Amino acid sequence: MTGSRPAVTSPPSATSVRFLGAGRIPLAAVAICSAGAALAAVALPAAIGTTVDQLVTQGRIPWPALLLCAALTALEVLLDAVVALLGGTTTAMLTARLRTAVLDRVIRAEPRHGQVVSPGDLTTRLTANAADAAAVPVTAATAVAGVLLPLGGIVGLFLIDPWTGLALLVGAPAFVLLLRTLVRRTADAAADYQREQALVATRLTETLDGIATVRAAHSATRERARITEPLTALAAHGRRTWQIHGSAAGTSAVLLPLLSVLVLAVAGVRLAAGAISVGDLLAVSRYAVLAVGLGSLTGALGAIARGRSAARRLDPLLTLPSIPHRSRTLPPDGPGTLELRDIDVTREGEQPLRKVNLTVPGGTSLAVVGRSGSGKSLLAAVAGRLTDPDGGTVLLDGVPLDGVDPVVLRHEVGYAFARPALLGRTVEDTIAAGAVRPTGAEVRAAARAASADGFITLLPQGYRTPLDQAPLSGGERQRLGLARAFAHAGRLLILDDATSSLDTITERQVQRALAQRAGMSTRIVVAHRVSSAVEVDRVVWLENGEVRAVGRHSDLWADPDYRQVFHAAGTTAHSGTSNAVPNESTHSDGDGDGDTAQGRGTELRRAPLPGATEPTPIPANSGPGTVVAGRDNGEGRPLHHQERQPGPETP
Amino acid sequence: MTPTPPTTSPPRLDPLGKPPEQKSTTEGGALRRVTREGVPFLRARSRAVLRLAGWSLLEFAQTFLTGYAVAQAIDRGFLSGSPTTGLLWLAVAAIATFPAALATRRVFGGLADLVEPLRDGLVRRSVSRALAQALTAPTPATTRSVSQVTHQSEIARDGWAGLVLSLRAFVFTAAGALAGLAALSPRLLLVVLPPLLLGLGLFLATLIPMAARQRAYLGADEAFAAHAGHTASALRDIAATGAGQRTLAGARDLASEQAGAARSLARWAAVRIIALAVCSRLPPLLLLLAAPWLMRHGLTSGALVGAFTYLTQALAPALHALLSVLGTAGGRLVVVLDRFTGRVQLPPAPTADSPPPHSPLAAVAELRAVSFAYGPAARPVLDRLDLTLRPGEHLAVVGPSGSGKSTLAAVLAAVMPPTEGEVRWLGRPTGDAEHTAVRTLLPQQAHVFTGTLRENVCYLRPDADEQEILASVAAMGVQPLMERLGGLDAPVDPQRLSLGERQLIALCRAHLTTAPLLILDEATSHLDPAAEAQAENALAARGGTLVVIAHRLSSAARAQRVLVMDGTHTACGTPAELLAHSELYRDLTGHWSPAPAGPPSTESSTEAPTGLPVGTAPAKTPRT
Repeated sequence: MTGSRPAVTSPPSATSVRFLGAGRIPLAAVAICSAGAALAAVALPAAIGTTVDQLVTQGRIPWPALLLCAALTALEVLLDAVVALLGGTTTAMLTARLRTAVLDRVIRAEPRHGQVVSPGDLTTRLTANAADAAAVPVTAATAVAGVLLPLGGIVGLFLIDPWTGLALLVGAPAFVLLLRTLVRRTADAAADYQREQALVATRLTETLDGIATVRAAHSATRERARITEPLTALAAHGRRTWQIHGSAAGTSAVLLPLLSVLVLAVAGVRLAAGAISVGDLLAVSRYAVLAVGLGSLTGALGAIARGRSAARRLDPLLTLPSIPHRSRTLPPDGPGTLELRDIDVTREGEQPLRKVNLTVPGGTSLAVVGRSGSGKSLLAAVAGRLTDPDGGTVLLDGVPLDGVDPVVLRHEVGYAFARPALLGRTVEDTIAAGAVRPTGAEVRAAARAASADGFITLLPQGYRTPLDQAPLSGGERQRLGLARAFAHAGRLLILDDATSSLDTITERQVQRALAQRAGMSTRIVVAHRVSSAVEVDRVVWLENGEVRAVGRHSDLWADPDYRQVFHAAGTTAHSGTSNAVPNESTHSDGDGDGDTAQGRGTELRRAPLPGATEPTPIPANSGPGTVVAGRDNGEGRPLHHQERQPGPETP
Repeated sequence: MTPTPPTTSPPRLDPLGKPPEQKSTTEGGALRRVTREGVPFLRARSRAVLRLAGWSLLEFAQTFLTGYAVAQAIDRGFLSGSPTTGLLWLAVAAIATFPAALATRRVFGGLADLVEPLRDGLVRRSVSRALAQALTAPTPATTRSVSQVTHQSEIARDGWAGLVLSLRAFVFTAAGALAGLAALSPRLLLVVLPPLLLGLGLFLATLIPMAARQRAYLGADEAFAAHAGHTASALRDIAATGAGQRTLAGARDLASEQAGAARSLARWAAVRIIALAVCSRLPPLLLLLAAPWLMRHGLTSGALVGAFTYLTQALAPALHALLSVLGTAGGRLVVVLDRFTGRVQLPPAPTADSPPPHSPLAAVAELRAVSFAYGPAARPVLDRLDLTLRPGEHLAVVGPSGSGKSTLAAVLAAVMPPTEGEVRWLGRPTGDAEHTAVRTLLPQQAHVFTGTLRENVCYLRPDADEQEILASVAAMGVQPLMERLGGLDAPVDPQRLSLGERQLIALCRAHLTTAPLLILDEATSHLDPAAEAQAENALAARGGTLVVIAHRLSSAARAQRVLVMDGTHTACGTPAELLAHSELYRDLTGHWSPAPAGPPSTESSTEAPTGLPVGTAPAKTPRT
């Protein structure tokens, strides 16, 4: 959850603020209009005072003075309306631009950069933070008015009669103190309130996670009572918050009128002394109110501070480097030969991949095995340019990947993952998702190849079922991810642990479909299970980021270290208590998370090793020299695998 | 009797998190629905409303005095050569603020009586709705539900509080100001009231279109947020499929749609400012225009100043506060409250805890030509399946994923009604019995919640006594976990338990029940094989009929009978029979040897990762 990115110590108005310079002209207009409205508002009490004086003395309408009042009022209102209109549209424009710009940078960058922050955090930055940051320029432009109004009020008081101004300045400190206490005491009650609220949310989440139990046990009403139990405490804290608000509001309800009565009293005495007129007194009472209107300014300052900190959260995203690319195409009808030359990857001071050299001949299959943390997934990411290596080159049919046009590259290189994110709205959309949309028939063929057709036809609306209405298990999601890769199958297919949640029969079907692409696609399979390594032409065995060996699985198996790789991946493999079962094997859809260890370990059987009973020495660490994985078993079939099983969905 | 929640047609959910039932999206419709449910809410709290009004009367008095005292102070004091009288009148105005301050405090107390119950009700409703939705929908929308409980209920709370406060302040301030104006000179009302009413009318006319823009804006905002959230969690896959440009184009469209909504909102905000100006800025000008006429009819200079004080210091701020709350929070409030309208029913809690009387020889459960499909167009998962479960029998169900094992469990447990055919328990239709008294269904995902271990273990049998609980704890091997946690009454934090430990607690819970039929739907999937064997053996020894949807094939070997499922083809028999006759069973069990050799045999294979003692399962007396 923690996007523990090193604290960016950029100046407060870094990228995002600079980016907002786009709306310079409307912003200047907003600032001018808002200042103009404030000036009109400041001038108005004096104008009204003069008009009243003339009215009282002349007993008839003083048209020039009255028209001035009307003009000032109209000006203030119209300028306010312009500020609302222009400010609103400018903020809307800036928000849309900022959001699109941030998303654009994130999408153009390597996915790992965007993944530095958690998805929830990234969503918050794209929505709330972007809106806060985009509101800053307009808020700042209108904040001018927030300064002008109280300032104008004080100036007005001093101009009319300095004694009234002094009276206000004496009363003001008490006002400031009040605001302080308000802020501090609400924060405490608000924290308690939020804690109880989080408790309700937690309990609800727990129950929703266990909803199958609730459904079976008819315990929904009991659960509701349990979830809403903290509401009593919540309401108590809520009441406390209102009480604090109330006492603060009560204090201000005394203070503000008292302050204005104080100023009025001074003005009254001055009126009695003949120092000021009735109109002046009227203006004084209005200026006193304007002068204490600092509250609106504190609100604006708060919004600006919030927007600034939001902008600081966006800065690192806006400065993400894009993946560079040129626009070369790949040779037509290339076999999909993949070459990794001197690949180095550096992450946070470590080198998870070091001097990896590997050639996968076009149309063959390669399994990547190794203990967890040995760099398997990273190798898979480098091979299809989900990430760029820090050193070395990846070539597909002789063309460096970073020179290939991105559309061509994504057309030719397909990925399937252990936990695919499903794109699109319906099941069909998610299989078809990609740079180029396959036909409906291709989608169905791909689904069949991924053994997904069976469960898709069981869904309420088949392929048209919206994803949010499709009850999908981890294994079913995996098969949709596989189908997506198959539907776009080009010359390179990369499966990163993409069958881990499948039961053994389904996994075999997928492997058969994969094997049928021999000669058409080069296939790279990151495998934790033995069964995946068995099926391929060649295995590359990674250890601590380096290639330890490349060879056929049956040859490598003689090495106890190699066997240990699978043992560690499957963790405790032991037979349990039942001797009656000849072979136990998991056949369920796990949820594909890390907890599958106990279930998976049972795949390691004590079946006799066909052929090599004597451990054949394997050249340990073939070093930086290029290792060529051969194609001698052209069908990509395992040497020792039973071929007779009819799958449940292909009788 | 307990109705079964309908599972066959999941409700349509739209991305805005509106409740599933179709609601008209016009503002009138939303306002009607909110009013329909809001009026009884207020009626039930008429005392709180009256209390609020009572305290607000003090503010009425204070507002009245602000202008009146100023007028008197000027006329009788400052302009009559007796400043002391003027100061005394001002002192009256100053003193009047103190009870008003007290009133303000009380008003907030009364506000809590109106606001907190609303939030309580909204949270209750959204919890009920989330539960009801999760019970019927295939994919519980956790994020959306939690957002409704926390975020949206708070928007409603704040919006409602703001509305109550500003409406109340406006009503009493306006009344005080108008009374004061009338006291100074009734003719003042002739000048002030027409623009005030005109402006209010103008403003009210903008409310409905404003609310529609608000709704459009919120909808666009949430659509963008949904897209952003989806994109944020799919960055790798977007890069891998090359869907980046399309994703970006989608985001750009949504962002500009929202900007359009915001622009439209800004236009209406400008209109609102004009309407507000008619209300609050026109009267002072009219007052100046009418002043000679008023003064000819006896209006003093002090009264003129007092009238201005009413207009600019009391009426204008109250109007401004009310109209900005109505224009911003008000529209939002209706939109958000509308999402909470409409009540949902949760299935009632069980009333009986023992099965109905039945012959001891009757089949515990029976499927008669049961078929099940997830939709009218969908391929059936179960096809005319017949199955009889005898008392005390132990059946294992095996098959590849997607073969309908979990569907069978749900249909057998009457959680889902069969599309065709009949399910019978103890010789009667399932509707005749309290479901939970006849069967216990344990799903794969164990429901362990924050509470004590005792509460968790007794979830299905709250009346179990200490001895029974401890026996079940021992039988299921939960003792080490219990000791680690610190006893039965120690708190359990599900986040700190492994998935296997959670399943153990759920299994313990099942062991404690007295239902004659126990169905485990891969409920041991996170246990290691040894712990799984212990759990299954103990549950079989508990008495009653045990159906195990098997996660591993070792479960099949422990059963008396095995049902092999493969789509709509099924085979049933003893493990030995099936090995002889079912190709699929053979396929599942034996003849797949992925690894050419096993791991080194020197490994210590008897260790159980959860540290469970092996073989501590005492036989329990059958409770059927």
